[in-house]
Amino acid sequence: MELGSLADQSKATFSLSDEDHTLANAVRFTLNQDPRVTFCGYSIPHPSDNRVNIRVQTTGDPAREVLKDACQDLMLMCQHVMKNFDKVVDDFKMSQHVKVEDRWPW
Amino acid sequence: MEGMSYARTPRVKIRELKDDYAKFELRDTDASIANALRRVMIAEVPTIAIDLVEIEVNSSVLNDEFIAHRLGLIPLTSERAMAMRFSRDCDACDGDGQCEFCSVEFHLRAKCISDQTLDVTSKDLYSPDHTVVPVDFSDPSGEESSEQRGIIIVKLRRGQELRLRAIARKGIGKDHAKWSPAATVTFMYEPDIHINEDLMETLTLEEKRTWVESSPTRVFDIDANTHQVLVVDPEAYTYDDEVIKKAEAMGKPGLVEISAKQDSFIFTVESTGAIKASQLVLNAIEILKQKLDAVRLSEDTVEADDQFGELGAHMRGG
Repeated sequence: MELGSLADQSKATFSLSDEDHTLANAVRFTLNQDPRVTFCGYSIPHPSDNRVNIRVQTTGDPAREVLKDACQDLMLMCQHVMKNFDKVVDDFKMSQHVKVEDRWPW
Repeated sequence: MEGMSYARTPRVKIRELKDDYAKFELRDTDASIANALRRVMIAEVPTIAIDLVEIEVNSSVLNDEFIAHRLGLIPLTSERAMAMRFSRDCDACDGDGQCEFCSVEFHLRAKCISDQTLDVTSKDLYSPDHTVVPVDFSDPSGEESSEQRGIIIVKLRRGQELRLRAIARKGIGKDHAKWSPAATVTFMYEPDIHINEDLMETLTLEEKRTWVESSPTRVFDIDANTHQVLVVDPEAYTYDDEVIKKAEAMGKPGLVEISAKQDSFIFTVESTGAIKASQLVLNAIEILKQKLDAVRLSEDTVEADDQFGELGAHMRGG
């Protein structure tokens, strides 16, 4: 859910239910990497509500678009780590395999 | 801050990899990302665990709920969990969680008929689905060990009997720790240790030795030939500051400088056996991606406006 004003799209607070520090802190970090963002922070209003509020203020672009871009960015990064991890695991298993064969008696 | 230009391309390097254990380096990224990954692995990667137990006969010394709790904590092989449905949003069975898409049924029948105590273990749980079975901890080398017989659920004496039906469902660690696939997931910052060599050379060998020994973990050592102090294992450093305090106490402040590299992390992942450690990491990234996707797409619908009714509309209007 987005809370902002229709007049000024560049400032908004997004309230995400069923999310916590896991997502919010990572998104906050990516938002702060974005040069269009002038302010970004998150809070958990109450520990027993499963909800986080993410505040985004930009230099002029609509806050929601900037947030979406941050999510996109973070997803691409996840994709990259996933691809890399997969490859590295395969390489590692391969190298282990070679080592075992080296020790083979013949 | 130094070098805040984190690339969007973190690097990964595997140090150690076994079925239930992984140690790897994650570089060129931020603590928030590393922490998100750690938190997802612990609390949001789904596994399958026993969630509903119908006891037919229980004349054992443990009461019904005690046994049900113990059954829930048994790790089940969960490679299938990512593709399975949560029983709460399963259409096939209207959320009562008893259909093949969202559950697996187990049966347990045990009765002690001899004077020898009978151990009822996880190996006595029978499931018609061979992809979801209690995790087998026995050593593949085939050595007879106490773990050979699985996880003990209850012990029966002569005449006691346990008969039950158990339903295992998909779930996440956030809802109940029994669904957590991770035994431990930790990450540490890689330490950057610089010894001030000039200052170090003003120390006698004896002083060097006492300084090296002031560290609770073996981080430093002395070269037998050159009597130089060397960093043998920087990762053994636990950020305890003991060597720094020791240097100050010896009147040599600045003998060593230790900082944490802000963009390099060393992960250790231990799995319960439900999912392979390497798969656990991949599943965690997948879950994180799904969460981001959900946020990105829900922005279009502003679904929760109905939920907040006038309040939402009011705030929106300014």
